[in-house]
Parts: sequence; structure tokens; C-alpha cells
Amino acid sequence: MTGKVLIVDDALFMRNMLRDIFEDAGWLVVEVDSGEQAISCYREEQPDLVTMDIVMPGMGGISALEALLQRNPEARVVVCSALGQKKLIMEAISAGARDFIVKPFKSEQVIEVADRVVGSS
Amino acid sequence: MDIEKFRDMFLVEAAEHLQKMAQLLIQLDNDQHDADNVAALFRQAHSIKGMAATMEYHQMARLAHHLEDALDACRKEGTISEKLLDRVLDGLDLLEKLLEDIREGRTERDIDAFLASEEVIIELPDDGLESDFRAVGQGLLVELQLKESVGAAGPRYLVLLKRMADFGRIIESRPSEELLLGGEVPKKLSIRLESELSEEDIRQRLERYSELDRVVFVNESLEAEQQVRKKPGHQTLRVNTELLDHLINLTGELITNRYHLQSALRQQSWQDIDEGVGRMARLIKNLHHQVLKVRMVSLDNLIGRLARSVFELSRTSGKQVQFNVDCADLELDRTIVDELLSPLTHMVRNAVDHGIEEQGTVTFKAWRERDQVLIQVADDGAGIDPHKIREKALGAGLISTTQADNMRDIDLYQLICSSGFSTAEKVTEVSGRGVGMDVVKTAIEKIGGVLLIDSAVGEGTRITLKLPLSMAIIRVLQVDCGGVCMAIPITRVIQTLEVDPQEIKSSGKQLLIPFQDELLPLLSLRKMLNLAKGARRNAIAIVVTEVFGRRVGLVVDRLVGQREIFLQRLPEPFEQIRGCNGATILGDGSIVFLLDLQSLLEKRRAAA
Repeated sequence: MTGKVLIVDDALFMRNMLRDIFEDAGWLVVEVDSGEQAISCYREEQPDLVTMDIVMPGMGGISALEALLQRNPEARVVVCSALGQKKLIMEAISAGARDFIVKPFKSEQVIEVADRVVGSS
Repeated sequence: MDIEKFRDMFLVEAAEHLQKMAQLLIQLDNDQHDADNVAALFRQAHSIKGMAATMEYHQMARLAHHLEDALDACRKEGTISEKLLDRVLDGLDLLEKLLEDIREGRTERDIDAFLASEEVIIELPDDGLESDFRAVGQGLLVELQLKESVGAAGPRYLVLLKRMADFGRIIESRPSEELLLGGEVPKKLSIRLESELSEEDIRQRLERYSELDRVVFVNESLEAEQQVRKKPGHQTLRVNTELLDHLINLTGELITNRYHLQSALRQQSWQDIDEGVGRMARLIKNLHHQVLKVRMVSLDNLIGRLARSVFELSRTSGKQVQFNVDCADLELDRTIVDELLSPLTHMVRNAVDHGIEEQGTVTFKAWRERDQVLIQVADDGAGIDPHKIREKALGAGLISTTQADNMRDIDLYQLICSSGFSTAEKVTEVSGRGVGMDVVKTAIEKIGGVLLIDSAVGEGTRITLKLPLSMAIIRVLQVDCGGVCMAIPITRVIQTLEVDPQEIKSSGKQLLIPFQDELLPLLSLRKMLNLAKGARRNAIAIVVTEVFGRRVGLVVDRLVGQREIFLQRLPEPFEQIRGCNGATILGDGSIVFLLDLQSLLEKRRAAA
């Protein structure tokens, strides 16, 4: 199962890494560096999946997630976070994130999560 | 490695460790500064942790680890606080429940509530929850367990819980979403789900979650069925290797002896045959003795459990109760010891609950008298007033006015064991569970024992049990009646008499015989069994025994004598014959039936 993924992360390094992983697996990748941009481009891009970093300057990942889902309830969002941010992950899941990825991540983990989130109707 | 193979061994050993923990806790309750005991307690927790972890009983390992940690801190100081003592005691309760879960093949119950209650001691953290949860019985009960290696297990469980909600309606989950959000990291997630999807559909959808270690659909009806079907058929027993070697040696000698005998037979050497048979007899006797020992277990565990009951009762009732043990190094057949736990616990509870008023002592005594073991539970409480029993028994219609006037106090006390009799006017939580002394007595009689109550107002109450050493080999009185040879367990025989027919008195149809200072009603075994009339004899043989709490004289044709028999249960369908408890085969090939007078008389009562 592949499709289009919107990567939301303020760190270039993370965006590149995720891009590699997704492209290797045959996904089409779009990337932005803030929550605000993600919200503004979602309608246009209509991605199958959004990966959202939790900690970002400006509008944080969780607020972005909430705003995104409010406008596009069908959006499938997976949050990305570093180790030791369990509370934030919990919050994100409560807010409607479908799954989460913990950094540092392995490519197969990322793809497994992406597949099952997109695969589930 | 097949872990299941080690399960039985684990169960036995873990039970021993828990037992030791209980003993240590009681000792520490008396002296909180006994550094050796504190250290020993720590080691027990440590051993349990190691064993449970190896067997992958995670809950048990976690709990033991937790207790070990708590004890490690105080081990250095060599003293244990009262609070910790209580905490470990509660932990021990929970460990025992976990062991029970493992023994019954159930999933281990969750211990998070206990671990979370570091400060506050919560009574039975999980027990009620579990049963409430299971009692719902609707929908599917699914248990999800993540792999040990999965990081961020809490959020992962939360994702799974959300995902499961996509499959249908979640009736209930354990832990709840709130608890998960609150940071609880469970060992597994149990969900009761109402769903259109089949088990297979759900399982397939969850296959995408490689973090999952197990997905279990708990089949509740099956689980219940399995619990019913579970019978204590296979139990493991620890046998001293020395004893085992001895048995093997004896078997070896028997084999050698067989060749000696065979060769003696070929040579027709009567002297060698004679010697061989003699040697064989000695070997078999020895073997018999040793084999019996295998089934023998010490009373220590039993006493430990009772001590704990007293300890806990004194805590809950606020009474100051001392538990004294006066017991030689005794061993009893395992079956008997197992059967004794519940009646003895009840007796001990009665003693604390009804006997002792504010403070006192419960004494457990056990000793051996020839081939019987006597166990006594005594309290130094208020005692039982015989007048009260007399009134109550009269009121309940258990005895007639004449009987009430003539009955000796000691006989009155035995009436407490009649069904429906209870002297405790108020029913307390502990012993008011509908199990009275009648049940205790029946349990004791089931294992071939006898129960006697003695009491004195202001001095206390004493209950004595007379028990056989072994269930398989018992000592019997052999009697002849109507040409049939029968046996009565010696524990059931109070005395044997041979009386002149002229001593027999009659009252209406009932024949009576003076015995000590009462008149014993006579029952004819021949009539009870519809046997042919025997030859008339000069002296009448009577076995004095007790049935339904009353002494009676059983008339038989002849008293043959005492002997030990190897009791065998009768095979189907003969085991249903009432009045007969089994049989043995004598040296001459004849069969001797073991009489069960109680059920024989019940049969007669029912027929009447």
C-alpha cells in the first residue's frame, strides 16, 4: 500500500531521512516545515498520510493536528516524537493521531506504521 | 526448551517459598528487628522473582521484584517497619493468587493496582475487578500483549485501544483509556468488544501490528468449563533422592531374590525356597514401609497456614491472639494433610471468633498414638456452656427431654456437630459462612478420622481429631457376620465387647446394652445387610462405634482381629454401593469389604 505522504517537520535532516524512507518504499513525498503550512496545503495536496513532528516552533504539532483534523476529519496523521515524550504522544493520540513513530526510527517501522494506517479504511 | 515441562516443579517450589515467606512474616511480626529473618524474607522474594521470570510468569516476577526491592532497603538496616510488614503480607496474598492463576492455567491477574498503591494499602487490589469484568459475559474478550522490547508501551496500548474501537463498540477495557492517559503502562490490554467482525477478521487486522506479542480471544465458557473439569488428578510430589535410591535398591534386591527362588525351585530345594520366601517377606515389608514414606508430608506447611490465619484474624478482629504450636516431627499422608487444611482453618477461626474474647491463646497440638495421629486445636477462651447446648438441641428437636436430662456433658458437646446446630448467636464475617461444625466433622470422617469436642466454661474449648496415618494402608478390625468377612476402620472403633445374652435389655423393640454409664442401642449388622442367620453363640460380639454423633453397639457374629490392609477402591459400578468404602484381598485370595457404617445407616434411614 503506497500513496502520497505529507511530511511535516522543522528539521531538514528529519525531512530528508523520512523522504528517503518513503521514496524507497514507492511513496510520493511532499514536505513542509511547519504546522501552519501543513494546514494550508492539505486541501490542495490531498495526501493519504501526514507525518507530523510533535515539537515544532510556531504552532506545535498537537495544535496543528487538532486544526488539521477539524478542517479535514478524514486526515490520517501519524505523529513523530523523540524518546521520552510519552505524554505528548498520548495527547496526540487522544487528539486523533492514528499512530506514532518514535525517533530514532528504523525504515521498516516507519513503513509498517504508514502501511497499516493507510491500509485501514 | 519446553517451559511447560517445568511448570509442576515450579508450582511446588514456588508454593514452598511462599510458605516460608508467610512463616517469616509471622516471626517478624513478633520481632521486627530480627535481621536474619529480614534477610531471609528478602531472599525468598528474590528466589520467587528468579523462578517466575524464568518461567515467564511476568506478573509474578514483577510483584516479587517489587517486594524484593522494598525488602532490600530494610535488609541493610536489619529491621522491618510495620507498614512494610503489612505491605509484604498483602503482596504475599497477591503472589498466592497469582500462583493459583498459574496452577489453574488462567492468565495471571493484573498487579498494577497493587504496585501503584505504594503508600495506601488496598485490600485485594484486583480480585473484585477481575470478576466484575468477566461477569459481564457479553461480546468478545480480547487480550492484547505487546512484545517486551516495544518502547513507549503506554502510547502503543492507547493506539491499539483506539484501533479496536474502529472494529466495534468497546464495552470496557482494562486498563481504561483514562488510566492509560494517566501514564499507566500495563502488561496487557484486555478489551471487551461488541463487534460485527469475527475473531478471525480482528486477528487479521491486528496482524499489521508487529509490536504485538499475543492476541488472545478469551473463550469464557471454555475457561469456565476447564475450571470445572480440572481435577486434582496429577500432582507432583517431591521425593527425597535418598528415599528414591532406597526404593531402587529394594527393587534390585527383589529381582535378585526372584532368581534365587527360581533356581531353588528348579533344584527343588525346600530349604532354599523357605529362605527365599522369608527374604521376600522382609523385602516386601521394607518396600511397603518406604513407599508409604513417599506419600508422607510434614505438617509444617499446614501449621504455617493456620498460624497465618490466626495472625490475620487477630489483625482483623482486634483480638490479641497468640498461636502456640506443640508438635513433634510428624508426617502424615499427603491426601490427609490436604484434606485437613479447610476443617482445621475453620476450627482455628471458630476458636478466635467465638472462643477467645479479647485476648488469649490458640494451641495447636499434634502427636502420634500408635498408628493414629492426634491433632488438637484448643483455645483458652470462654468455653461452651453445656446448658446452652442442651436448650438449643432440645429446641431444634435433636434430642428428647429424657435424653437431655440424662446426657453427659461430653456427649452434649458432640451435638454441636449435628447439622443445623450453631451456638454462635451472632454471625460474624469470618466463621459465619454457613460452614458449621457439621461440615468439619463430615470432612474429618471422610478421611477416616474422628472428631471430639470437649469444653469447660471459663477454661476454653478443645477439639481433638484422631486420624489414620495413611489413606491407602489402614488398620482395621476384622469381623465375621453371616459368613461374610468384613472390616471396620480401627479409628471408628471405640471398644469391642463380648457380652452374655442375659445382659441385653430391651425397651420396646430396641435392644440395649449397658456400657460405661449409659445404655447403648444395639444394631444387628446381619439384619442391616440381610445376611443369613448365623449359629447361636454363648457370647455376643459387639463393636462399640459412633454414628451420627451417637454411640451404638454393632452386633456381629465374631470378632476376628486387627490387621493392616491395603485399601483399594472398588471399580465402577461397585463403588456406588452404599455402606462399603472399598475392599482388600487377603493372603488366601478372599475379599474383605470395608464397612462404612454411616452411609449404611443413611441407606437404612432413607429406606425407612
